[in-house]
Amino acid sequence: MMIVLLLLLQLKVPDAASFVGPPQGTPLTGQQLTQRAHEVSGLLRCPVCQGMAVADSPAEMAVNMKAQVHELLARGYTEEQILKYFELSYGQFVLLRPKFEGVNRLVWLLPIGALLVGIGLVFFKLRKLESQHVAPPAVDDPYVDRVRNLVRGDKP
Amino acid sequence: MNRTVLLVGVGIAATLLGVLFIGLGKNPNEIRSPLIDRPAPTFALREVGTGRTVDLAQLKGTPVVLNFWATWCAPCWDEHPILVANAKMLPNVQFLGVVFQDEESKILSFLNQRGSSYPTVVDERGKTAIAYGIGGVPETFFLDANGVIVAKFSGPMSNEALQENLRKAFRR
Repeated sequence: MMIVLLLLLQLKVPDAASFVGPPQGTPLTGQQLTQRAHEVSGLLRCPVCQGMAVADSPAEMAVNMKAQVHELLARGYTEEQILKYFELSYGQFVLLRPKFEGVNRLVWLLPIGALLVGIGLVFFKLRKLESQHVAPPAVDDPYVDRVRNLVRGDKP
Repeated sequence: MNRTVLLVGVGIAATLLGVLFIGLGKNPNEIRSPLIDRPAPTFALREVGTGRTVDLAQLKGTPVVLNFWATWCAPCWDEHPILVANAKMLPNVQFLGVVFQDEESKILSFLNQRGSSYPTVVDERGKTAIAYGIGGVPETFFLDANGVIVAKFSGPMSNEALQENLRKAFRR
């Protein structure tokens, strides 16, 4: 038993502290810890799934990642520190909500820009249609003349 | 057709084609990891078979080929003979296998059947794999003699890719 314990003590896995420094929050426990672990895992993309959050994926990799989030929250790491830790390992790909910086800004700005351009085009087109004078068709038809006179109240 | 609509359509299509063209020119196996040019996350894990601890920090002074793999991964079977042969041929490079999401009996059986020429350690709860940003296996990291990650290769290793990435590790 002692030998096994000594062996385990020698084992070492990469620590979040070497990525993001010491914990800057309050260690969580109980129900609050479970709930926050689920929330923070929901912000991370499962790297072996198709667009699924770590919180929702049953994949072993996602389960391990969620366990790591759980452990880091229990040690007092903040949400920002945890997201940063995963980002430093996987890149921004792992964040389900891309950051508003650099080229990523386009992800947020392009849809808004496209919407504004669309509204502008519709407005421009409507104004153009309104300004066009549509002359009544010159119809030389006795039947149409009769209808017109009837509408005006003239006797046929 | 309205000339403006046509021009806008052609512009959007040309932009999309441009982006696709740039993507086509990239090697999908060479992944730009945020860990590149940073010190490799340190770990000390148990070696399969012997039970002794292999500490990455103790391998400083020589370039390291760090290969993440698993016995259930078919491409890992393909690259295994290449890694074993190169580890035998290159005594000035330390090869190290890290197995995750696997069972020790299966790893031992795999290594006994297919041979081994370098240590293989077990990443019990996948923490080391997470720190290295592993998305799937096989993935291989190349460390220079100072323990800095110089390249990441995703997918089964070839002799050419191994040599090319090792050159980066020796260039430092």
